[in-house]
Amino acid sequence: MLNKSRYLNSRPRINSRTHVANSCAWMLSEATKLLLLSLLIWPVFEFQAICFADDSAGEEAFFQERIRPIFETKCYACHGPKIQKSGYRLDVREIAMAGGDQGEPPIVPGKSAASQLLKFVSDANSDLVMPPKDSNLPRLTAEEISSLQRWMDAGALWPDSANKKLDDPLKWWSFQPLPKLEPAIERSQAIDHFVNIQLAGKGLTKSQPVDSRTLARRLYFDLIGLPPKPEELDDFERESSVDAEGALNQLVEQLLASPRYGERWARHWLDVVHYGDTHGYDKDKQRPNAWPYRDYVIRAFNEDKPYAQFVEEQIAGDVVRPGTSDGIEALGFIAAGPWDFIGHAEVPETKTDGKIARHLDRDDMVSNTIGTFCSATVHCAQCHQHKFDPISQEDYYSLHAVFSALDRTDRKYYRDETVQRRILELERLKSETSHSLRQIEEPLIPLAGEEYTSLTKRIEKASAPSEEKSNPGPEFGYHSAIASTQDQEKWVQVDLGERTEIQRVTLLPCYDDFNAIGAGFGFPIRFKIEASDDPEFKTGVKLFWRKHDVTFMADFKNNGLQPFTTNSAKDDGIAGRYVRVTASKLATRKEDYILALSELQVFDSADKNIALGRSVTALDSIEAAPRWQKTNLTDGIAPTATSKEDKAQLVQERENLLEKSMDEASKAKRRLLMSELAGLSAELKQMPAPNVVYAGGIHQGSGAFGGTGAVGGKPRPIFLLARGQVTQPGREVTPGALSFLAFQRSRFELQPEAGEGQRRVLLAKWITDPANPLTWRSIVNRVWQYHFGRGFVDSPNDLGHNGGLPSHPELLDWLATDFRDRGGSIKDLHRLIVKSATYRQSSESNTTGETLDSNNTLLWRQNRRRLEAEAIRDSVLAVSGKLDISMGGPGWQDFVIEHPEHSPHYEYGLADPDDPKTWRRSVYRFIVRSQTQPWMTSLDCADPSMRVDKRNESLSAIQALALLNNGFMLSQSKHFAARVEKEYTDIPSQVERACRLALGVGPSESDREQMIQFARTNGMSYLCRVLLNLNAFTFVD
Amino acid sequence: MPSRRTFLFESGSGLGGIALASMLASNGELTAQEGANSSDTISRNRDAGLHHPAKAKRVVQFFMSGAASHIDLFDYKEQLVKRDGAPSDFGEPVEAFQNGLGPWMKPIWDFKPYGDCGKLLSETVAPLGSVADDIAFVHNMVSKSGVHSTATLLQSTGFLLPGFPGAGCWVSYGLGSINENLPSFVVLPDHRGFGSNGVKNWDSAFLPAQHAGTIIYPGRPDPIADLFPHRAGSYVTASGEQQSQALMSRLNREHASTRAGDARLEGRIRSYELAAKMQLAAPEALDFASESEHAMRLYGLERGAQDWGKEINSDEETFHFGQKCLAARRLLERGVRFVQIWSGNDNGFPRRNWDSHEDVRRDHGPLAMGMARGCAAFIQDLKQRGMLEDTLILWTTEFGRMPSSQGGKGRDHNPFVFTNWLCGGGIKGGVTHGESDAWGYKPLDRDNPTQVYDIHATILHQLGIDHTKLTYRNNGIDRRLTDVHGRVLHELIA
Repeated sequence: MLNKSRYLNSRPRINSRTHVANSCAWMLSEATKLLLLSLLIWPVFEFQAICFADDSAGEEAFFQERIRPIFETKCYACHGPKIQKSGYRLDVREIAMAGGDQGEPPIVPGKSAASQLLKFVSDANSDLVMPPKDSNLPRLTAEEISSLQRWMDAGALWPDSANKKLDDPLKWWSFQPLPKLEPAIERSQAIDHFVNIQLAGKGLTKSQPVDSRTLARRLYFDLIGLPPKPEELDDFERESSVDAEGALNQLVEQLLASPRYGERWARHWLDVVHYGDTHGYDKDKQRPNAWPYRDYVIRAFNEDKPYAQFVEEQIAGDVVRPGTSDGIEALGFIAAGPWDFIGHAEVPETKTDGKIARHLDRDDMVSNTIGTFCSATVHCAQCHQHKFDPISQEDYYSLHAVFSALDRTDRKYYRDETVQRRILELERLKSETSHSLRQIEEPLIPLAGEEYTSLTKRIEKASAPSEEKSNPGPEFGYHSAIASTQDQEKWVQVDLGERTEIQRVTLLPCYDDFNAIGAGFGFPIRFKIEASDDPEFKTGVKLFWRKHDVTFMADFKNNGLQPFTTNSAKDDGIAGRYVRVTASKLATRKEDYILALSELQVFDSADKNIALGRSVTALDSIEAAPRWQKTNLTDGIAPTATSKEDKAQLVQERENLLEKSMDEASKAKRRLLMSELAGLSAELKQMPAPNVVYAGGIHQGSGAFGGTGAVGGKPRPIFLLARGQVTQPGREVTPGALSFLAFQRSRFELQPEAGEGQRRVLLAKWITDPANPLTWRSIVNRVWQYHFGRGFVDSPNDLGHNGGLPSHPELLDWLATDFRDRGGSIKDLHRLIVKSATYRQSSESNTTGETLDSNNTLLWRQNRRRLEAEAIRDSVLAVSGKLDISMGGPGWQDFVIEHPEHSPHYEYGLADPDDPKTWRRSVYRFIVRSQTQPWMTSLDCADPSMRVDKRNESLSAIQALALLNNGFMLSQSKHFAARVEKEYTDIPSQVERACRLALGVGPSESDREQMIQFARTNGMSYLCRVLLNLNAFTFVD
Repeated sequence: MPSRRTFLFESGSGLGGIALASMLASNGELTAQEGANSSDTISRNRDAGLHHPAKAKRVVQFFMSGAASHIDLFDYKEQLVKRDGAPSDFGEPVEAFQNGLGPWMKPIWDFKPYGDCGKLLSETVAPLGSVADDIAFVHNMVSKSGVHSTATLLQSTGFLLPGFPGAGCWVSYGLGSINENLPSFVVLPDHRGFGSNGVKNWDSAFLPAQHAGTIIYPGRPDPIADLFPHRAGSYVTASGEQQSQALMSRLNREHASTRAGDARLEGRIRSYELAAKMQLAAPEALDFASESEHAMRLYGLERGAQDWGKEINSDEETFHFGQKCLAARRLLERGVRFVQIWSGNDNGFPRRNWDSHEDVRRDHGPLAMGMARGCAAFIQDLKQRGMLEDTLILWTTEFGRMPSSQGGKGRDHNPFVFTNWLCGGGIKGGVTHGESDAWGYKPLDRDNPTQVYDIHATILHQLGIDHTKLTYRNNGIDRRLTDVHGRVLHELIA
């Protein structure tokens, strides 16, 4: 069967852009050329009839009568108004001419021989023939083919009357500038004003205002994510009956001022940015330093940080807010998503798999940034132009260029800003003092002459890490037989005499000047170390695994004479009578390969080398005594580094030399400066250890994961990738943003000396530009959704063509403009929303509403809301009385980690479900990506691998079982019962109290009797479990 | 916010299901908008609402975690036997994961022909010889990645990144459940732990949570998480459970009665009723007591659990894999749609998966023998019960292994070619589709390999689903299991 996409892909992929330009340039306006250059597949409006204007009516008729019918009958099925395979269509002139997603131009006016379309329809023998062989469509007749040929050669005239016009994608509502506010509308009435107009248009009216208790419960969950205490409900009800507006104002202010507010709303934000505490993918390693970002977000909401500042800090806080901890912690945003550890740490950037890993990593940064702040689906333009929105592939890769210097990495900073400032100050003083010192010393150095230079060299040498020297005696070590290939396996082992618990194993390298190799001679490139009681190593083999990844799974760097130690530990339980070193990749000798070791040391738990003098066996050995023989491996003789000259003494000598040529005044001044310098260094040394946050930054790495640290954070070049394939790089692109939004230059102007941070600053400023039409609509739509269960646009991550039209376009624009113009206060937006009559209406249904607007799109009532996983969990803890409200810091863990050394297994089932450490709010949970918390997941908790703009709401038996039977629920039911039993002595009062705590109201008379009866028979814990499973607990009216 | 779907659901019985399926059929597509209210745990009438008549009702996916060697199991390469030990020459630069490209290494085990089709199989998978005539081998699979995590995601979800639903989720979402008392998509992990990416391979991602794979550990006292009360709930009793269900039902219905028009309230009440039913149905489905001695022997379970010793061995592998296969058959009989069976856990040491960098014989030997016995028994058993014709089986792994040796006895990753096989559910038996080249290094026809999209498209096709029409909108894209790719492998369809 002919696979169309494969067919197109296999066409020769000469640079299609250049080709289009070459073949069409003679007849296209500059504007049109530019558009074609960027390979737009949406219509080119300026195109018009520039090229064809002078053709006769006869040609027009020819197209209408002979050509168009061919397209309609033979092509439209796959390339017409309904379906556009490979983005190609023959009903729109501009696309028909320019081509689809890729490839050469299908129609070249005046040159049928150069027109791909003609080739496809005429070559019957080709697998690529059109219509495809396996379609029902008949092939083109010879006459039809010759008509096409004639038409193309005559200039391919395509009259306007036969051209389908597409809607201008730039006219989409969310791409339009925000309107000016209508001053006539009273601000506090704006929401109801717009909602009422739309309701009236449909013949609907708002529902009744909700009663005060229900309103309070709604506000508590909406704003702080916790249930109100019964007393708080009583108070609010009482105060409302006196002064409804006053009581409401007071409650809203109280809730917005509560630290619980930031915890609630930060969780929404963390959904969107897909925050997690592990990397995800294979080996799912922990990120112990991710949490400062989570705390930053909580703080930002609690402080009501102006939204523009909140945005800018997360993209470029290090540059826009230097010296602040917020500026660094906020960058956790860039690193929030998953990270492919193996794809980075084990595969270098030079390999295809390494390139893919880094490309996908940046894709996540780009999608997260533009998806979160602009609600645009830029990731759709990775392989081709965006199919629905006017986002070009070049825009997408320009955004890659913004982040191309970065990796996800640990960043050091000082959370204590006084310390941070003091350190900056100390560093400044140190640099100044050093400068003054140099000013005194520099003129004197030439006077000190040769001797000074020589002493400096000796000092440098004494500071160098390792020195090499030949062997202390003639016994070099063990040397395998010589192999002709490098991957021949060789082993050598020691017999410890009896089974022993092993603490660690150390290998000492050899020294041999043969072939000028010297230190590290014969040390294997890949090897493993194992212990066993079986001299054949067939059974009971224990691997020293702690460094296995670096010695066996990857090439191990030759470190000269530096000893290699396995770093094993007692709790690994590695024991055995024999210890074997197996090399799987041998060291190069000349044009051949060997394994050589000077010493194999095995240390027991008393840290004693128990291999000393023990017998050695090997697969083979050259046995060239005395230099090379097996027994040398345990003879305690190994080459050592030269003992270094006494550095301190050399420094003193140089000091004396320098002072000789100095007058007393200079000497005194210099001594003063030096003591100042020492003082500064000492103070710096005494500064606390820096804080660390996992964030976007310049990674200073080694091995496969080097990052850009080694080149001073220079951004990696970014190329436009044909079809998103790293193996098909096209031209290099420069940093920029979305070019179809014309409010600002979309390709950034960077000074040549600008650091990489400047790219991020420009992107941040582009996003927060007051004229950016997406940013302000995006955030207002998100906030609205969390208050109503549904945004104006029901896809908060997509305000583009696929996201649909807003339910209340004018209101959304009004709110966005108001929010922007009043400084981006989210708390103020909450006030506006929750005090509106629209928010305060009942969630009860009515027949008129159901008939006219069953989905409640127009808001003729409030929506009944189901609590999210976190809100359920926090509420359970709140009513049981166990909620621990301590804030911040590393996440609490409700799992036990098994096999931490390689791929951690996060075992939730093994944890104590009643561990008080886990009684903190859910936002502080340690979020594992590969093994999501099963209980939370069953309640539709956000998947930290995905950017979640809206939680799913599912119902299933598995979810019911989780709420009934999970250890957490059953333990908390007990605590809940213990609480009410402590507060009241009789069962009826306990039942009343439990209902009021969990549901906000006491039971009805008939229910009360049933519940009391149930509690008497089955116990209060059992009843509390029932209450926590009720619909009334989970839903908020 | 009730939607059409939930109103239909509210109408309760199977009738609602048929109505829904028919309505979807009249739209011609099984699609949904993001955020559609999703309490649609509906038994849908088979074939009603499908894109075309289905040949298969159920799917079983065997996943060998760590990358099983096609060369040592299924894809015989005579050249490697001839050139064993000679320096490997691929005729082009090769990027291997660990650069482990030693000399050519012949298959670790001898190959023999089996069945009427004469398929050559390695002696370490010899039990599969008995069903060779039922199997269709695909030897020209290619991956897009040589890294375990991303390559595993590609085979399990169709995407290299985490955050996409597993194939089983899509099937559950598209077809719904046959028996609401059991989950529609079940995952039977390796008893030692999860493979690469853990639950990301079967998470529902953007699909509603009820379509996520439910983890079941056959043979454990708690086979499904939270199926029974945790020991912290010592106060929970059998009689109490009955009273508690009655009380909850009463209170919830009272609550719902004053809140008309919200289908979720009734849906949630029903989910608790289903939970109670699942507490009965799941243990029954996993209880092997009613299995005949013949069946227990067939699956290698007659001796029961033993002290297997510390070293990896084929008896232990046979027991654990067989247990999962038998549990799978029982679950499928009872209406589970999709079962995913894993062999091998993550890449820890000592090796307990298929990632044989160091020693193919040591790891592949026992794992393959256990897998082959279990798979062969499973296929024979389904056949005897007449279930093979509408149960589609897929055997897969994330990629293959190199024809050259690594460190003498191991093999490095080979994402350039590997093997899948399919069986049952309207798939031709005794055939081979697509070949690898003389070395088993790349597809013979490099321009026309088979990809996971084609396999997934074929599976959906057999289930009556057009893979281009089963979509769900997420972050601006109508997502499909097959992304923008996929070709139904008509050559494999009987």
